[in-house]
Amino acid sequence: MMRVIIFSWEYPPRVVGQLSEYINALSVKLVKKKIETYVVTYHDFLTGAVEEVSGVKIVRVASPVHANIGVLTWILTLNQEVERAAANIYYQADKQIDLINVYDWHFIPAAITLKNAFNVPFIYSVESLEDQRSSNSNTPYNMSIKSIEWLGFYEAKKVSVKSELMRNEIVRIYKVPDAKVKVVSPSTDSWIKDVLEIYTSAAGGLNNK
Amino acid sequence: MKKKLSVMMFTWEFPPRVIGGISPHVFFLSKSLAKSGVKVYVVTCDFPSTPSYEVIDGVEVYRIDSYKNPAPDFATWVYMMNLNMQKEAAAIVNKLADKIDVFHAHDWLVATAGIGLKHVFRKPLLVTVHSTEIGRRDGLHTNTEKMIHETEAWLTYEAWKVICCSDYMVSHVRWAFGLPEDKLVMIPNGVNINMYDKIETDLKSFRAKFALPEEKIVLYVGRLVYEKGIHVLINAVPKVLDKVNAKFIIVGSGYMKEQLLNIVRSMRLEHKVLFVGFVDDETLLRLQKCADVSVVPSLFEPFGIVALEAMAAKSPVVVSDTGGLSEIVKLDTTGFKAYPNNPESLAWGITKILLDENYRTYIRENAYRQVQEKYDWEKIAQQTKRIYQTVLGEYSKSFWA
Repeated sequence: MMRVIIFSWEYPPRVVGQLSEYINALSVKLVKKKIETYVVTYHDFLTGAVEEVSGVKIVRVASPVHANIGVLTWILTLNQEVERAAANIYYQADKQIDLINVYDWHFIPAAITLKNAFNVPFIYSVESLEDQRSSNSNTPYNMSIKSIEWLGFYEAKKVSVKSELMRNEIVRIYKVPDAKVKVVSPSTDSWIKDVLEIYTSAAGGLNNK
Repeated sequence: MKKKLSVMMFTWEFPPRVIGGISPHVFFLSKSLAKSGVKVYVVTCDFPSTPSYEVIDGVEVYRIDSYKNPAPDFATWVYMMNLNMQKEAAAIVNKLADKIDVFHAHDWLVATAGIGLKHVFRKPLLVTVHSTEIGRRDGLHTNTEKMIHETEAWLTYEAWKVICCSDYMVSHVRWAFGLPEDKLVMIPNGVNINMYDKIETDLKSFRAKFALPEEKIVLYVGRLVYEKGIHVLINAVPKVLDKVNAKFIIVGSGYMKEQLLNIVRSMRLEHKVLFVGFVDDETLLRLQKCADVSVVPSLFEPFGIVALEAMAAKSPVVVSDTGGLSEIVKLDTTGFKAYPNNPESLAWGITKILLDENYRTYIRENAYRQVQEKYDWEKIAQQTKRIYQTVLGEYSKSFWA
């Protein structure tokens, strides 16, 4: 049985964009496919810190630093709490985590540290890119976020996107090798099958080491 | 045979990268720990034409790419640098296969790297707090300052023990972050006495470059910034010159330089006050050996390493009675303590040392002995090693062990 941790900065009841509902639907489906699924997300005090819904184990972490000078420093200080939560799962599971699936740039730093520390590979799933969110913005602030995205593409075992358009964007902007990026679209019938396929290919061999 | 105790240090500066006092501190502490049988790994920021990995006197030094990611401001740069430091350190620890016993972070500049790795590898974290944002800024005025303060508080919360270099800093840190008494440890900063041994004893020709033979040398070493109180010393210059012929040598630079030069010019004392700027180590050591008196007039000073260096160079010291300086110097025994921010008091102390030879000899000898006894790096390393052992003893009973 595969064990997966999903990192997402939004998860119900915290809804910022469409990612929240997507992760919710995905994690429930994964559990049905017999994948042990954890979600580590941001705690905005609408919920408890730990709960289990439809078999999905959810851990929510809160900001240790409250005074911030922007989204970037908020995220950079929140990542250590994501690491703490993920490490707790890792040790409780006898160090058997097959895969981390990180959504967008926010928790890439944590995914990278855990990969380097535990040899757990990660899939970087792209909802949107800084280049698209802040079009033509090349301030040091935007460049910082882009550099985290770049690091994510570089360190990820696989990259998943929802459309061919996005795949082309990533290959164009970040020069990611074509073969590393896979389209996994929730609007197709093969959605969960495609997810399981990329999960298996990224996690491949780790349990047998 | 019992496995060697091993520590991984995190610091944003390590020689040859020197920005402030953390760099020499971690350098000497690491080397002395290695000498006392502790395996030391240092993870630090890179520096031009310096190797990314080297072994210095048994200390394994890893330098990480600290400018890999662009950043809009200094504080964000710090967190982005920590991202890389943490990633590199995670890979190093992974490769060493569980050989690290404790993590030791120096100041908030490496907070997020240290905190994350503590949880990832489930090893105890120690922190040395060299300075605080609330102390440096005399309060918290902006969001950046508050964010740094909260990061410091978080780091001390996550740390098993919090090491401070003076009793003053212990009480300051306890107040600033509301820490319990038993979490705080005082281990003084050290000074390397031996570095003055290699300086030649005949410094006459060196001295002649800075002062006339009949002039006494009054030495100031430090940044030219408000909290160092250099303006108090400049205001004391004419009061000293009323009593004794002296040359004031000011080493260091900072934003107050122009302002200080103007004060000196308006007093028409340009020939008595020499601003030499930043100098290399050799020149500095020689100047400290030559100085008839060394002055540390700080208004805020967590520790006061310059005073210790002067004492190790056998130069008598006049310090302001504040912060760590109050503890280093004992009045009329190892130096003179002036009222802070008081030129009259400072001038009185300088004059007394320059005119009273018996007093001068008495305090410089006491001071040198004190440095040998209390501020020796090997003794400090022993104290630090004992703290590591205490922490590991407690840790071994926890569910992380």
